[in-house]
Amino acid sequence: MGEKERERIFEVAGMAGDILLRSGAEISRVDETMRRIACAYELENVSTFVLSNGIFLTSEVAGSNHQVRVRHIPLAGARLDRIDAVNGLSREIELGFFTPEEALEKLKEIEKMPQKPGWHQILAAGIGSGAFCFLFGGDILDSLAAFLAGLILYIYVLDVVRGRLSKIAANASGGALVMALTLLFYRIGFGHHLDLMSVGALLPLIPGVAFTNSIRDFADQDYISGSVRLLDTMIVIFSIALGVGLVMMWCGIGGSL
Amino acid sequence: MILRLIEEVIAAAVGTMAFALMFHVPRQYYFCGGIAGGAGWLVYRALELHVDSLMGPVCAGAFTVVFLSRIFAVRKKCPVTMFLIPGIFPLVPGMGIYQTAQALVGSDWDLAAAKGLTSIKFAVAIVGGILLGFEIPQSCFSFLENRKRKSGKFS
Repeated sequence: MGEKERERIFEVAGMAGDILLRSGAEISRVDETMRRIACAYELENVSTFVLSNGIFLTSEVAGSNHQVRVRHIPLAGARLDRIDAVNGLSREIELGFFTPEEALEKLKEIEKMPQKPGWHQILAAGIGSGAFCFLFGGDILDSLAAFLAGLILYIYVLDVVRGRLSKIAANASGGALVMALTLLFYRIGFGHHLDLMSVGALLPLIPGVAFTNSIRDFADQDYISGSVRLLDTMIVIFSIALGVGLVMMWCGIGGSL
Repeated sequence: MILRLIEEVIAAAVGTMAFALMFHVPRQYYFCGGIAGGAGWLVYRALELHVDSLMGPVCAGAFTVVFLSRIFAVRKKCPVTMFLIPGIFPLVPGMGIYQTAQALVGSDWDLAAAKGLTSIKFAVAIVGGILLGFEIPQSCFSFLENRKRKSGKFS
């Protein structure tokens, strides 16, 4: 195996790990995928160390460090389509379908995978909000109000916030927006249960990916990553509650309604 | 009563599918995710009506979601996450958190503590259900995959 070849395999493994972690995969999956790819191409002595926001990858030849790759990976949004694509690719690599060059090309394609169109996401947020409002006991009018509030919330999240605000500010303002909207709807008689409407419309903000991954990391004994993701979940929920609470206070509807 | 339950299960399935789209789950997995979410809610509600317990039904619901997700993952050869993350959403204690915030704003400390504790119990029950679901050895599920592959080869 030539020098160039080794470098390329190393690059494939590292990049697959990068994409997985950035798209919201659990730690054990990132670790295992990198190992499997290295193993499939017969790259020996590979060590990995994966945290919730960083990957360390080394490969050794004859005792001396041959290659090292350290990457910082910020906590980012969920892109489950990328996880699925990398998962499929690593299966195919194990079956010997791709040379390292081809695999690298494939990974670059996966990295450029387009997001779902914005209006799909916005509509989905609305439908999800309406459905969950109904689920929690709302009537049709409540669900319609939640649908509208969820829709507007996601327009705000996708078009106004997008990268400009910190996570805390984005979630607090999102929570405040939903509360203000549902309160407005409630006051003009559009919807009967203020609490159900707000909870339904707030659900798109709940960090389900971070929460689920944190549990799985704990189960895999990746306690550091599990705690970081749990903290991420808590901070987002507190931020939402802060925004909601501020609007409640401002409009004077504390206590049992 | 039964009608309301059916409506709710459909709502849970629709909501789960909508959230799957928000997390960019590939299109071919929407339906299975919806089934997992709907079934989780069905188990939760059916138990909640008959059992005098807060955490048990939630735990059973989360367990159902994990169990189905793992079956689908083996059948479709994809990560469990595709179905599990959207499927768990119907069980999220959104109401409890909201009521906690409301009580805090109204300086009603007792109510806030009670509601907050209920939300935490809910979350712990979900965690328990998920952990329990992942304790089932993978071999129980790969059996499904093997059988499918065999029948595919010989048929």
